[in-house]
Amino acid sequence: MTRLFILLLTGILAACGSTPATHPPQALEQAQAADKDARRALRSGELLRAKNNFAKTLALQESLDDSAGAATTLINLATVTHQLHDDEAALTWLDKILLEKTQIYPPESRLTAAFRKAVILTNLARLNEADSTLQLSEAMCEKQCILRFGIEALRARLLLLQGDAEGALALALAVSKEDKADQEEQANALRIVAAAEEKLAHYASALQHYQAALEKDRSLDLSARIGEDLNGMARTSSQLGRNQEAAVYARRAVLVNESYSQRVMTMGE
Amino acid sequence: MTLLADKDERFKNLFGKTAVFTLLAAIGIGLAFLWAGEKKDAFTAKSPIYFVADSGEDLSIGIPVKFSGFKIGKLNTLTLDEHGLVQVEVSIETKYLKLIRQDAVMSLKKEGVIGDGVLEISRGSEDKPILADGNKVRFERASGLEQTVADIKDRILPILDDVHHTLHDPNGDVRQTLQNLREFSAEMRDTRERMDRVLNSVDANLNNEVTPLLHSLRLSAENAETMSTKLNQELPALLNKADGSMENLRMTSEIIKNTVQRSAPQLPAILGETRETLDMTRGVIGDTQEVIDSLSTHWPLKGVVPVPETGPVKMDSHD
Repeated sequence: MTRLFILLLTGILAACGSTPATHPPQALEQAQAADKDARRALRSGELLRAKNNFAKTLALQESLDDSAGAATTLINLATVTHQLHDDEAALTWLDKILLEKTQIYPPESRLTAAFRKAVILTNLARLNEADSTLQLSEAMCEKQCILRFGIEALRARLLLLQGDAEGALALALAVSKEDKADQEEQANALRIVAAAEEKLAHYASALQHYQAALEKDRSLDLSARIGEDLNGMARTSSQLGRNQEAAVYARRAVLVNESYSQRVMTMGE
Repeated sequence: MTLLADKDERFKNLFGKTAVFTLLAAIGIGLAFLWAGEKKDAFTAKSPIYFVADSGEDLSIGIPVKFSGFKIGKLNTLTLDEHGLVQVEVSIETKYLKLIRQDAVMSLKKEGVIGDGVLEISRGSEDKPILADGNKVRFERASGLEQTVADIKDRILPILDDVHHTLHDPNGDVRQTLQNLREFSAEMRDTRERMDRVLNSVDANLNNEVTPLLHSLRLSAENAETMSTKLNQELPALLNKADGSMENLRMTSEIIKNTVQRSAPQLPAILGETRETLDMTRGVIGDTQEVIDSLSTHWPLKGVVPVPETGPVKMDSHD
């Protein structure tokens, strides 16, 4: 009797101490589990598994009419597909949001989709399409939108690719000095500043800005961009006649790029 | 010759004037009496009705007699007869007698709960003759507050006696229940002490055993994931090696080739088993992760587990 009482009391205490379990619809639970698994796979570099799980999440969210969740998953699918170097498929995922006429997706998802499409098109050197898509995201972004520094950095990058080095320099310099911008975007802006200065033959300041970008990228542990920064430093050092330094930077760039490629291969990309 | 000469003009016809004044005063007084008599029902025809009461308690001359809430008369006289009973005469306005039958009952009531006594006469049965001047009616006392209290007292006292008996009976239920409660309370105190010991033990176990267990679970999950990754990486190489070996065997000897050909059909089955093993490993990892996820949503772990991320995965302008 006493034991039973203790058992009951322990049960009651446990029940009082813990939050009661909520039971969302089974499909929603499955969607959340698949999304969680996809993100875990993405963090560990298993891109194919991440893609499959995001696709599963999307199917479940669509069956539940969860348009906001589906929009996020479409963007995630596009991002993973882009990381798998299947850019055409990535653009198709993003167009599912952007070409939807019934406006079922939230405006912030449409903005994110437009921005990411512009990034991919820029990477593909389809500059005219990138320009028009970036204009779309600029139109959707109000002054305080969360992506504004990314959009400005991309605009600067696009200007540089279109040959307007001075315009790119001015815009990227402004973003690089913006405290509210993400560290990644500050580093991107610094790299664009350096590249624009390199194009304008301002090699000394270009070297300094590549150095600043390198420090930021190193703190963010972005190997591919560290390689880019080191290559830029090697080029500008060479232009400044500091061939020995340039050789050191070039060698470091090769090492970083090799280790990065090896890591990507290890992850199964 | 008159003693007092009435020479003043104002004293002329003094007797007549005095007579008129006195007459008017007398008429006024008479009217006042009439008015008062009218008000006091002095000119209303009344009929005497009689009843006998067991005692004169609460009965007094002048108390009203009411019928359907209206005063129709009053108690006139009270007399004690030779049998010790009280003979009572009430006068009722004659005009109301036709409303009352001979079997009507005169009841002594109180106005309100503790008010003055009132005689209330009932209508009586319709088939009985009309009450006539000088008739006798039945009398009864309606139960007043005192009667009610007396009734309640008569009912409650035995109950109180019972309760008293029940409470003080050493072998009664109440005493026994109190005894049991006292014993139960002592047991509860003992149980509480045991519970404290158990909870301390549980607390210590949680700190000493569950945390390392969770840590161990996480490590196991990581190890299993690493193993799975290694298997994924090494399996293609192993399969390539198996293919190479088969080719060499085929080239080396016809006999061995036959043997290999016999073995080759088994390879898909082996591969299938390997895949099954991998799936199972992945399932175990998933289950372990699920257990950790489940545990992480409950007290006391939920506070230290990070909130799962939502929203789009990160991608900047240079990705």
